[in-house]
Amino acid sequence: MSEEKTKRVLIIGIVGGLAQITARLLLQNHPEWEVVGIDSRDTKKIQAIKGLKTITMKYSRGNFEKLFREQSFDVIYHLARFSHASLGAENLTKRLELSVMGTNRILDMGLRFGVKKIIVLSTYHVYGALPDNSIFLPEDSPLKASIQYPELLDVVEMDQIATNFMWKYQKKIEVVVLRPSNIIGNQIKNTMSRYLKNHLALRPIDYNPMFQFIHEFDMASVLMRSAEELPIGIYNVATDDFVSLRKALEVVGVKGIPFAMAAAGPLNKVLNKMNIKIPDYLIDYLKYSCLISNKELKKHLGENFYRFNMEESLKLLRA
Amino acid sequence: MLDQLGLGLNEQEKAKKQLIFTRLKERYRNYSDPWGFNLGTVEKALSVLLPIYSRYFKVRVFGAENIKDEPYIFVSNHTGQIPIDGALITLATALETNPPRILHSMVERFMAKFPFLGDFSAQTGSILGDRENCKWLLKKKESILVFPEGVRGISKSTSHFYELQQFTNGFYRIALSTKTKILPVTVVGAEEMFPLVVHARKAGKALGLPTLPISANLFPLPSPIDIYFGEPIDLPENLDAEAQDKDIRPHVYEIENVIKKQLEHGLENKREFLEPLKRPVEMISKLKDLL
Repeated sequence: MSEEKTKRVLIIGIVGGLAQITARLLLQNHPEWEVVGIDSRDTKKIQAIKGLKTITMKYSRGNFEKLFREQSFDVIYHLARFSHASLGAENLTKRLELSVMGTNRILDMGLRFGVKKIIVLSTYHVYGALPDNSIFLPEDSPLKASIQYPELLDVVEMDQIATNFMWKYQKKIEVVVLRPSNIIGNQIKNTMSRYLKNHLALRPIDYNPMFQFIHEFDMASVLMRSAEELPIGIYNVATDDFVSLRKALEVVGVKGIPFAMAAAGPLNKVLNKMNIKIPDYLIDYLKYSCLISNKELKKHLGENFYRFNMEESLKLLRA
Repeated sequence: MLDQLGLGLNEQEKAKKQLIFTRLKERYRNYSDPWGFNLGTVEKALSVLLPIYSRYFKVRVFGAENIKDEPYIFVSNHTGQIPIDGALITLATALETNPPRILHSMVERFMAKFPFLGDFSAQTGSILGDRENCKWLLKKKESILVFPEGVRGISKSTSHFYELQQFTNGFYRIALSTKTKILPVTVVGAEEMFPLVVHARKAGKALGLPTLPISANLFPLPSPIDIYFGEPIDLPENLDAEAQDKDIRPHVYEIENVIKKQLEHGLENKREFLEPLKRPVEMISKLKDLL
């Protein structure tokens, strides 16, 4: 006879590495919870996680309605952000449909079907990598990314939809928006982790921006704790450390290819003509710093909310 | 290469650099900042800039004894078309004060855009002139250098040399919010580095620069520089950082006046540099004697 579950949790985007680590942590720390993971990609590909129920489904309104109607969730993790690295600016419409409309749909369903809390994974990219950025941007800083780069419109839109919804329905449903710095690790396959491990990575010689990195395990831990410990609000997620890009590559043990980023813009225009698409905004993230403040998060999770400091996180990438 | 150009360190300068750097290393061993400060780059910069400071610009420093081992907001006039005055003040506080310190100079927003230069300035302690950045450094007990005249000060045409522009109030609010004393600084001699200059402001804006100086010389001339450090100015106790401009303004004006007086005094005692150029016959005969 199965024991009664006290909380039902839905993770959207379970095929992602971070989502899987989060699911493991949730099930380890809360065996009394039921965790369901969904993805539009094939969920059979992921390694089996004991206790995790997985569903492969298209992120359509009908599918979501059916899922929410049949299983009443208490907590939803919206971790299904669409990667930009593989797509060019012409796919903006597709990304807007998936990221923005998808987020809208999830929030709307959550409200309709009595979900208690929705945790949305946004990104620090919303602030933009600009030459005149202040240090340690707080959560109420303007989201300048889409002003500079239209291809980041969906990222900013998704964040704003979630935050607007959060304030509008704060008496009916709890929404937490997390804006993490660069998440790195061997299980997630995001742009930064791949860049830091790539021996052919372009190593800027003319710029050396400062970066904040958080280990995938620590990020998953923050996600897990968000369910019970973070009240409604927006939270930057970063460790206390910062490191220059060149130093980060050195710690990982990647020499990279020395490259003048000043030439990257014109070179990218040539590459675009050859149908090799590198988003312009990524170039600026290798030129200018965008450091975020973790003060708000620390108020709730304490000073030592992370297990790996920056150096350890970077060294773990060597494995 | 610097040795071949006669700009390498001589024995005296090598000893001075070694002494200063050892003391800087003691002080900044555990210091790091979110802009990428790097002691190794500071050492390299000292090797390159020390001969330029002492032999090319023949810098004289007055009032170094006014600087105690505590954080200040150094407030200076801004002259010379390119921010060499900032670099020389920073060098003066490293070389001539006790204990030596890295003064964090506030740079203009467009500076970070420049390849190499933005990175170099950040590694040697210069940072973007932003209130939050200043507060972060002052809380760490570091000193900062500000030019409240901004670009208006540095980008003057020849006919307006040494005309002090009105100071903005921002630095004073930062001083009030962090309770940091003001230390007035005056630089004399930097305007003559580019003695004949006009400003093409519209062309500069088209290039994304605040202004575009057009000068008769491309490189700064070896005008002798005098740097005056005034006495620290205490802050009023009954004024807070959010006070109205009308209450802040008199205090800023007082600092402007201190610098204006230092400037008048400095100009009276300035070493003449352009004078020989005005007397070509005399100069040619001197050259003949030398040959």
